[in-house]
Amino acid sequence: MRDVYVIGIGITSFSRLEYPLVEIAAYPAIMAMKDCGLTKVDHLFVANMGASRLNHQTALASAVVDHLSLCPAGAECIENGPASGASAIKAGYMAIASGLHDTVMVIGAERLREANNLEATDFVASLTHPLAEQIYGVTLPSMAGMFTRLYMEKYGVTSRHLAMVAIKNHDNAMFNKFAHLHEPISFEGILDSEDALTNNPMVADPLRFYDMCPVSDGGACLILASAEVAKKVKRPLIRLAGVGQATDTHCVHERKEPTDLLAVRGAAAQAFKMAGVKPSEVSVAELHDAFTILEIAESEEVGFFKKGQGHIALAEGYTGLKGKLPINPSGGLKAKGHPVGATGVGQAHEIVTQLRGEAGERQVKNAKIGFTTNFGGFGNNVVALTFIKEK
Amino acid sequence: MERHILGYKCRGCGRVWYPNRGVCQDCRGIEFEPVPLPKNGKLLTFTHLHNLAADFEVPSLWLGIVELSNGNRITGQLRIDSPKIGMKVVGKVEPVRQVGYQTHHGMIFYKA
Ligand SMILES: [Zn+2]
Repeated sequence: MRDVYVIGIGITSFSRLEYPLVEIAAYPAIMAMKDCGLTKVDHLFVANMGASRLNHQTALASAVVDHLSLCPAGAECIENGPASGASAIKAGYMAIASGLHDTVMVIGAERLREANNLEATDFVASLTHPLAEQIYGVTLPSMAGMFTRLYMEKYGVTSRHLAMVAIKNHDNAMFNKFAHLHEPISFEGILDSEDALTNNPMVADPLRFYDMCPVSDGGACLILASAEVAKKVKRPLIRLAGVGQATDTHCVHERKEPTDLLAVRGAAAQAFKMAGVKPSEVSVAELHDAFTILEIAESEEVGFFKKGQGHIALAEGYTGLKGKLPINPSGGLKAKGHPVGATGVGQAHEIVTQLRGEAGERQVKNAKIGFTTNFGGFGNNVVALTFIKEK
Repeated sequence: MERHILGYKCRGCGRVWYPNRGVCQDCRGIEFEPVPLPKNGKLLTFTHLHNLAADFEVPSLWLGIVELSNGNRITGQLRIDSPKIGMKVVGKVEPVRQVGYQTHHGMIFYKA
């Protein structure tokens, strides 16, 4: 297999975007072409989850490739729920590693806010089992709530630990101009004060409003290339060194140990093994914190901490921006935002920015190895990626 | 007639699956026969959900995962005042969601 590099990146703000989905996809792609100086690519993969249902648009990739005047390059959509973004990166990896293409543009784009919040939540819930979960009113927040209750019972995680994730990621997002939420929060405001239950109401007990990511629009783009192309581009050499993916049961209730996220464990193990890297060597990670508990649980499953120890590392500041292993310096899904199909590309965008040393006030010192976990379903389809900065 | 939720018993190895699947995880068998699932069990975890899809008329719902007496697990709604992990529950098959003209029936659990 050939080596694969990320040579260009681009991103939109993650927020409410008042322009068409095709333009949400095209803007970061234009930025990424500018970033690396390429004006043509061999192929496009467009990650998206909701276009057909929320934006009344199918065959998005065909529209995007022409909008960018990149015809006759091949183009297709990748839909893998909230892990669509990293799945599209994986497809790009395979295309270049195999020798089929030399340059691939991977775009993630989503326009969820054309629907209202309830419609958006109901739309995301359509990834659950139609007869065994959906008919009961199960949503992703409710699954996260049931998961959190078990985690608290088993490992001693408290609402305070969850709030620590939210506060940390909101703080990090203050340094990210593309983040959805620029809103510092405190224990006082969301947990301790008399108004805390009003400011931060229960949504899926024990998870509250500030344990949930916002519903975002947004787009992000990576341009991937072979070594031959990458070495001609005058940008830092960032290699996509490991790609892993694993699946788990569709119904959450069928998992033997309901606090395990085996697909996260499996995907991460592959992505580390392929890159020849140990979890302890990672300098910076973006984990899929759609709910605060997930940052804690994933930090354990990918191998950064032992099972049940993630919340302790968090409380000690280990995962803070100035800690030994900063997690979600971008603000994470929690505060940077979660445009579902675009999220995985957004995570990779942050890691490449960090490894290039271009992250400004949120720059992680000496970042050399970066890692992402993009979590689809409620953990039933997970893609993990390892990136290495080369000399 | 009393309604039941159906499990699917593998003709190869006898294991009951819920919901149905095309291939048995244990023996790769592909033939299954429907069997009624028991209704009593133990509550494994739960949540009180306040943001519901627009078609629900109630403001909030209690949802939970129950381990049934035969070992199968099932997701369902709860009508229990203050649920506790590990408590004994018993289910009834009742309307759980109305989507347009279609009424979905599913398991609602009560205190045993
Ligand atoms: Zn079998």
